[in-house]
Amino acid sequence: MSTTALEQELDAKVARLPGAERGALLRRAALARFGEIGMPTPRRENWRYTDLKRVATASFEFAPGAPGRGSVDTARALLAARALDQDALRLVFLDGHEVPELSRLPASPELQIASLAADWETVQAESAGRIAVERHPLASLNTAFGQGGAWIRVPPRARPAQPLQLVFIASERGGLAPQPRILIELGEGAALTVVEHWLGEGDQPGWINSVSQISQAADSTLTLYRVQEHGAGQTHTALVAADVGARAALQIGFIDLGGRLVRNDIEVKLTAPGASVDLFGALLAAGGQHVDDHTRIDHLAPETLSDEAFRGIIGHRGHGVFNGKVVVHRNAQKTDARQSNDNLLLADQAEIDTKPELEIYADDVKCSHGSTVGELDAEQLFYLRARGVAEVEARELLTIAFANTALERVALPDLRAAVSERVTARLRSIIEALP
Amino acid sequence: MLTIENLHARVADREILKGLSLEVPAGEVHAIMGPNGSGKSTLAQVLAGRPEYEVTAGTVRFRDRDLLAMAPEERARAGVFLAFQYPIEIPGVNNAYLLKAALNAQRQARGEAPIDAFEFMKLIKNKMELMQIPKDFMTRSVNQGFSGGEKKRNEVLQMLLLEPALAVLDETDSGLDVDALKVVAAGVNSLRSPERSMLLVTHYERLLELIVPDRVHVLADGRILKSGDRALARELDARGYDWVQAEAAAT
Repeated sequence: MSTTALEQELDAKVARLPGAERGALLRRAALARFGEIGMPTPRRENWRYTDLKRVATASFEFAPGAPGRGSVDTARALLAARALDQDALRLVFLDGHEVPELSRLPASPELQIASLAADWETVQAESAGRIAVERHPLASLNTAFGQGGAWIRVPPRARPAQPLQLVFIASERGGLAPQPRILIELGEGAALTVVEHWLGEGDQPGWINSVSQISQAADSTLTLYRVQEHGAGQTHTALVAADVGARAALQIGFIDLGGRLVRNDIEVKLTAPGASVDLFGALLAAGGQHVDDHTRIDHLAPETLSDEAFRGIIGHRGHGVFNGKVVVHRNAQKTDARQSNDNLLLADQAEIDTKPELEIYADDVKCSHGSTVGELDAEQLFYLRARGVAEVEARELLTIAFANTALERVALPDLRAAVSERVTARLRSIIEALP
Repeated sequence: MLTIENLHARVADREILKGLSLEVPAGEVHAIMGPNGSGKSTLAQVLAGRPEYEVTAGTVRFRDRDLLAMAPEERARAGVFLAFQYPIEIPGVNNAYLLKAALNAQRQARGEAPIDAFEFMKLIKNKMELMQIPKDFMTRSVNQGFSGGEKKRNEVLQMLLLEPALAVLDETDSGLDVDALKVVAAGVNSLRSPERSMLLVTHYERLLELIVPDRVHVLADGRILKSGDRALARELDARGYDWVQAEAAAT
């Protein structure tokens, strides 16, 4: 869609979007900014391997209207079928709109959740300015058309025992472009686990453009898992930007199983001594899927720690991208940064582009990185066959094991088992489709 | 049980076995001894069917079947077991899963139903005790983080479970202390029976004090140079291998 078309779309809808008059000003300014910077194209270095042409040239309904009764019932059935953790606190979004009747959020002093629709203006005024939009112009698009999301706050020293589940469902309506925004703020010494499930079925086109902003005060702990199982026509561009304070610990795990075109930008700033991040992911891509994980970790203070491990399994006609940038700034002495990216190519027509980038401006640091692209280990294969396991089964077993090793960092045993089941099922279908 | 005739094998263009012949009757335990690089491990790997080893001449018959024509998994299901010199670590595959998959592959080949979880636990329990393997090994990844001795005991545990007709143990004694060696030997001895044959590949005579072989063969330069009874093992331990090679060269 051209900038003019987007402007017309905003003009038509701005009156019914949250944020009233001042909000409208912010939205128009954000869209103007997006127009100046432009849609990312492969001409930009950090978009070299991922072409958004398929969404840039198609037309989508931005800020789509609320879903109808039928869509809500379908979403309810999908939730039940997926048997997500029943005890979890849950917030459900359908096509970008919050659905209170599917959510389960008892009021608690430990966890304050405000609907973004209600506080849109305050939130935007506070948060949008923290994003480097030159690098992330799509965040401006999110500001311009955003209508749903959550502002999640955990007060100092509060530690809700239950994980918070955020479920984002794309309905059977095609051609929608919701712009969800999630804000997570942890007070000093607070702790929270958030599990995101992104679900969709069918192959109708759609474009989800999400922004998540995390801010952690000293000594807080945030665990964020994202399990992505979009329908086959879905595009998802996602930005997750986190500021981690002194001695605070952040863990992020991204499991990408579905979608047509997925681009994850994860940016973590370790802003004070003792801050740490554990970042891991597994991506599966086949049958025309394109999944791109772009991560950037800034060590801005001394004695900060980052540990990053991503795995890719690419089947026939799949394309994976991993770009891991680590910047150790001048005063970030005693930084410890580890990064690994291991990939398994299952077919001749399978592509992975992997690129570690280290920029180190401090002299007393420990940094390591490594990336591998390969096939299954011949010795492991022979060992299994020598125990009577047929070659085809042994290959499948080792492929599943390779993916499951990436899930070992998931700290919730039930979630780990459930995700492992989904990963295994997806891998079986990828292996079955091998030529 | 096992008849090897004039076996030639190479790996990456290097000929390692150069006309090896050997007969292991049912119920017997044979030891293969020899200097480093003589081809002992190659023989073990060739018997198990490792694809990187190419057989260029000779025949191997196992229970009247052409062993060399069988895929590694077919050999295993037919009752050939190789205890690896360096057991492989497989992160992400747990021990119990592998043991069950291995057992069920055999059962399936024999036309039997897969074993259920309860029967499996019953079957494995005292074998684990015999091999002094702690319970939590079952839920850990295959060989990952195991010490050298634990890996070897785990190999023997697999063998006890699968009850092979022909067991090939490739330096299962290497890297073991005296106590661990006794555990391994007890496991192997518990499997000795008139229907089962074993081939022990070893460097050291001390294993053969604990697992007493019916025959001892000296393998050097890709062939069996000399065969004898257990006294030969003691002689080799005392005198080394040079004299055998000199004797063979003279004839």
